Amino acid sequence: MIKGLKSTAVGLTTMAFMTGAAFANPYAEYEGTTLIVNFPAHPHYNAVMQILPEFTKQTGIEVEVDQLPYLKMRERQTLELAQDEGEYDLIAYVVFSKADYVYADQLENLAKYFMNPKLSNPAYDAGDLIDGYVYNIGFAGGDKGYLQGSTGSLFGIPYGSETSVLGYRKDIFEKHGLEVPETYDEMLEIACQIPELEPGMGGLSSRAASGHHAAHAFLLHLNTLGGAIFDDEWNPVVNNAAGVQAAEALKSIVDCGPEGATNFGFGEALGSFLNGDTAMFLDTTVVAGQIDDPSKSQVVGKVGWAMHPMGVKRASQTGGFGIGIPANAENKEAAFLLMQWLTSKEGDKLVAMAGGNPSRFSTHADADVNAKFPHMATFGEALQYADPDWRPIIPVWGKINADLGTTLSKVLTEDLDIQEALDGVAERTKAVMEDAGYYTWN
Amino acid sequence: MRTAMANRLTPYMFMAPAIVIMALALMYPLGYMIWGSFRDWNPSQTIGEAEFVGLKNYITLWGDPNFHESLGVTLRFAFFVVSIEMVLGVGLALLLDRDIRGISVLRTMFILPMMIAPVVVGLMWRYMYHPTVGTFNRFLDGIGLPTVDWLGQHALMSIIIADIWQWTPFIFILSLAALQSLPRSALEAARIDGATAWQQVIHIKLPLMMPVLIVTGLLRLIDAFKVLEVILVMTEGGPGLSTEILALRISRTATEFRELGVAAAMSNYLLILLLLLTVAMFAFNRWQETRAARVQALVEEDD
Repeated sequence: MIKGLKSTAVGLTTMAFMTGAAFANPYAEYEGTTLIVNFPAHPHYNAVMQILPEFTKQTGIEVEVDQLPYLKMRERQTLELAQDEGEYDLIAYVVFSKADYVYADQLENLAKYFMNPKLSNPAYDAGDLIDGYVYNIGFAGGDKGYLQGSTGSLFGIPYGSETSVLGYRKDIFEKHGLEVPETYDEMLEIACQIPELEPGMGGLSSRAASGHHAAHAFLLHLNTLGGAIFDDEWNPVVNNAAGVQAAEALKSIVDCGPEGATNFGFGEALGSFLNGDTAMFLDTTVVAGQIDDPSKSQVVGKVGWAMHPMGVKRASQTGGFGIGIPANAENKEAAFLLMQWLTSKEGDKLVAMAGGNPSRFSTHADADVNAKFPHMATFGEALQYADPDWRPIIPVWGKINADLGTTLSKVLTEDLDIQEALDGVAERTKAVMEDAGYYTWN
Repeated sequence: MRTAMANRLTPYMFMAPAIVIMALALMYPLGYMIWGSFRDWNPSQTIGEAEFVGLKNYITLWGDPNFHESLGVTLRFAFFVVSIEMVLGVGLALLLDRDIRGISVLRTMFILPMMIAPVVVGLMWRYMYHPTVGTFNRFLDGIGLPTVDWLGQHALMSIIIADIWQWTPFIFILSLAALQSLPRSALEAARIDGATAWQQVIHIKLPLMMPVLIVTGLLRLIDAFKVLEVILVMTEGGPGLSTEILALRISRTATEFRELGVAAAMSNYLLILLLLLTVAMFAFNRWQETRAARVQALVEEDD
């Protein structure tokens, strides 16, 4: 009897110890696992590379990173995700890929991981993640099929997401007594004043090259000016008054921009601002690191940041990357733990300090982060207005986007009439949507 | 009986490995592409999962103005680069087919552009064409001339210039080889008969080089229809669609629009076009040879 009691006591103690150990280290079960992850070559993910050793130190889970140029990454994923057993346990993907991957059932629904008490960290604080980013990059199945909403669910978490802000040359603005533009009218006026005030300098550098560059720049203005590509019934409305106004804004920006602006891709537009050839830059937040890097920039310390100016509403873009678990991954649970750690408050702050783009409101407000990157507070403010629906994320978008971008390029370079150009885009978009079955229920 | 059969089959058995390899290496991928072109195929699907749509992809393309524009750009690009390169390449070969000191160094230097990776060529020209810091505009500015918007207003011309720079050496080197293998006796005879250098070129060198020139031109033409990297790096097909040649459109259709079936159909159109051109050029060559043979026979009859 005593012997029996003894063994029960030993057993209970061991169990208690084991349970205690499990509480102390939820990662123990996965120690020694090697995760293979696919990340893009991108400033944010370069920062991530610096913090991964910390994850391995804390958890014992090894991470092997396959870092590829962004377009190559997408190609590789397309092939990998279609296999029965994939190579990757965790992938970073761009917003467009969300539509493709979720539609093809290639990304894990994250509900079962967040429901699992052994995996889900109660201190995660999902409410602190930037809503606009989460809805844009993580959700699918809700409103319009590609957003959050009553029927939506979560497939990824924003990581390396971006929004749009206005960078301006403080020295030039001070020299000529210019006010930082609050509205579109003010911004356009200043953009065209600059070449007169500072001969040889462009007003605002924008992407404008044929294809997705021109389309991106146009969409940046379209949403803020109250326009959209589709109405609620998927009818193209890009050719309405707001659409025309957005295209006019783009044309005016390019006309008053630096020389050769009609062929600027993202690299050239940024390069022109970094070289000091333009006074303003309206694009993604991801550039802040480069602007403050003396080896890349000639305007270190001369750039101020402001929110994306207001049109009929205040709205900035949402884009960049998110991370998700492929449906054919081998180590899904360990991959979730890595995903959760990277996007936790601790991980987000670490990556921000290493020069990455934080995904949490709290990180944007963090004192240490702001001491190192003073622009972070403005970015955090801009993020309150980050609009997840500034462009449609549907499988046929690639085709519509390309048509929009090449047509706008004709407006910018061949003086094609704006209304005529957008009418053409709307007509062709309608045909693409019809073909893809969007009017089946009409 | 059995021996006779075995004897008859022997040559085929010897050929069998080559046929199998040909079928696997050549016909299978081609067949795969043709099969894919009849499907509504997106890269997230395997070819088996894609829906069969018959000739829909071909019909859609037939009525697609963007495809027409790309085809037009491709034809214009190929016509200009091949004709200008042929004239320059053959001209250079005629000029350099002689013993000048240091000619071998000069020849090596001429073929250097061909050896550079296309992406590097694209980048190099893109920076040389740069509106403000590019070599050309800085030069024009330096001598007081107005600058040119190379990759904007004159994008097609700019990519044609870059291609000519890179590929003229190819024609040059093949033409030079052809020139050097010409029968010296014919040239000597012409010289004795008092033919001028120009007459020798027109009546002897060029006609004798013709078979090589046709093949060279054809190879360049095929290549010009498929060029991708240099244009991708320089203009990405823009502005508008003004430099979007077919190979670039195929690549964008597969990756950006994610329509592998349409991309395959487009590749097949390109393949048909190239086949037609090849057949036409060989037919022309054959026709010329027969005509030459007929003239020869007539001359012999007269004798």
